[in-house]
Amino acid sequence: MQRVPRETNVRLAVDLGGLAMRNPVTTASGTFGAGREYHDFVDVAALGAVTTKGVSLHGWEGNASPRIAEVPSGMLNSIGLQNPGVDHLKAHELPWLAEVGATAVVNVSGHSFDEYVAVIEALEEAPVAAYEVNISCPNVDAGGMTMGCHVPSVEKVVGMCRAATARPLIVKLTPNVTDVAEIARAAEAAGADAVSLINTLLGMAVDARRRRPQLARVVGGLSGPAVKPVALRMVWQVARAVRVPVLGMGGISCGLDAVEFMLAGATAVAVGTANFANPHATVDVIDGIIDYCEEQGVADVNELIGALEC
Amino acid sequence: MNHLVNEHAPLLVNEELGRGIWLMTVEAPAIAAGARPGQFVHVRIPGMDDHILRRPLGIYAADAAAGTVDMMYQVLGFGTSRMTELAPGAAAVELIGPVGRGWQPPEDARRALLVAGGVGSAPLHPLACELAAAGADVTAVLGAGTAEALVARERFCAALGREPLCSTDDGTYGRAGFCTPLVAEALEEAAAEGRPFDYVACCGPEPLMRLVAGLAAEARVFCEVSLERRMACGVGACLSCVVDTVDGKRRACVDGPVFPAEEVVW
Repeated sequence: MQRVPRETNVRLAVDLGGLAMRNPVTTASGTFGAGREYHDFVDVAALGAVTTKGVSLHGWEGNASPRIAEVPSGMLNSIGLQNPGVDHLKAHELPWLAEVGATAVVNVSGHSFDEYVAVIEALEEAPVAAYEVNISCPNVDAGGMTMGCHVPSVEKVVGMCRAATARPLIVKLTPNVTDVAEIARAAEAAGADAVSLINTLLGMAVDARRRRPQLARVVGGLSGPAVKPVALRMVWQVARAVRVPVLGMGGISCGLDAVEFMLAGATAVAVGTANFANPHATVDVIDGIIDYCEEQGVADVNELIGALEC
Repeated sequence: MNHLVNEHAPLLVNEELGRGIWLMTVEAPAIAAGARPGQFVHVRIPGMDDHILRRPLGIYAADAAAGTVDMMYQVLGFGTSRMTELAPGAAAVELIGPVGRGWQPPEDARRALLVAGGVGSAPLHPLACELAAAGADVTAVLGAGTAEALVARERFCAALGREPLCSTDDGTYGRAGFCTPLVAEALEEAAAEGRPFDYVACCGPEPLMRLVAGLAAEARVFCEVSLERRMACGVGACLSCVVDTVDGKRRACVDGPVFPAEEVVW
């Protein structure tokens, strides 16, 4: 039952700001654990990269339950970056990813500017191919989205992370801003090698009969097919605003969805919520990209990046 | 280690047992072969693409020889309503399974008390079969709203060779009211006989499990409960389904669904 992408002559490798990916598909942080949870279903070493669940310096407990709610064509979550801390990731998850031959991207979280840097410093000797700086989680009170909504704090946290590592630095952006292009430009100016978007859209669901919110934290992040049009629009805007490559995500569940993001300007894509319905989704997306390229006579997947004809 | 499969499972049976409680039997040989009592399957229901999450359902029976899995479900929302419309012989569901940490009775359990509220009877049924086959003396207590909802009674009779202790909220079958007095009496009688229970397992509404855990603790009997939470991935990745325990937040899907009651922070 462990699936790998099918054989093809289409060249699939992409370069995401110095991160060499064997194909343009990674996982959206928080939806795929550290890869091991899905290894019965897909060979995680065959993915472009595995992006791990957000990690902080010490463990975080996360939010109260209920943490999720199903909504039309999507879901809300307010997990709150529950994680056992960077030492656990280093001791257990990263060695496993290295052993199976996977390319690891670590999503880095913090409650303060210094915590982001401390997490990166703790990982500099570990087998990590790139960092994704999470300044876009809507479910924590400090750090996360609160840092990703204002140019000065974006510049500060990205600048500090940049100084801490020579490895590729991807900055994950929130859609919960007025002008996502302005935030992307700030990340680029502060030294980001790539930007990834979108994180979840802040939303809410109500149980009218009980007169209660569906989530214990009342609000949470919307993901799934419902957000795809918003994500595509933002990827398109950001790709035109910055020179660094874009990692696109938001509602991708099949190869054609991924191709749409690449045409809009993404160099690579991430599969997130789709993993929950379909544990083979990552490989299905890669296979779907191959199908499209073969059908359309595309020899190299890089030809798709920004090839939208407007 | 428990390996998971995602199995395309044609429907063999889909019928109402009583009062909005349904039985679904599917052909899923890989899951049927690997399933342990107390594990569950994470079900993708066809034809509801705008409802993107799977539904976790306890395994009511797993027949390795026949390659079939039985699930019991109660019609509560859109997904379970949609499930009732699926036609045996034509439709199929997709199952991730067998998922989770199942029941782990003490290896030398000689006398077990299984307590089920409503469709909580489903994951206890394979445990009843296994304990009975191992020669343990098993007492089952089944509680339901009304007689028609006591849908698992006959299967427990068959598994244990005797009538389970039953209660209904409306008094239409067995003891009237909740099933907790039956549990308290069973624990007391067993202790008075000098043959106390050495294991209690409970699945049902959370208030019931909390009460039964309390009764078991008073009687100093090891107790396990099977917890239910809203769940997204069902494989341990998303941390949606966490349960508060003495060791912090743990995942109902793969650290549970069965937990020692003494570890649960109610």
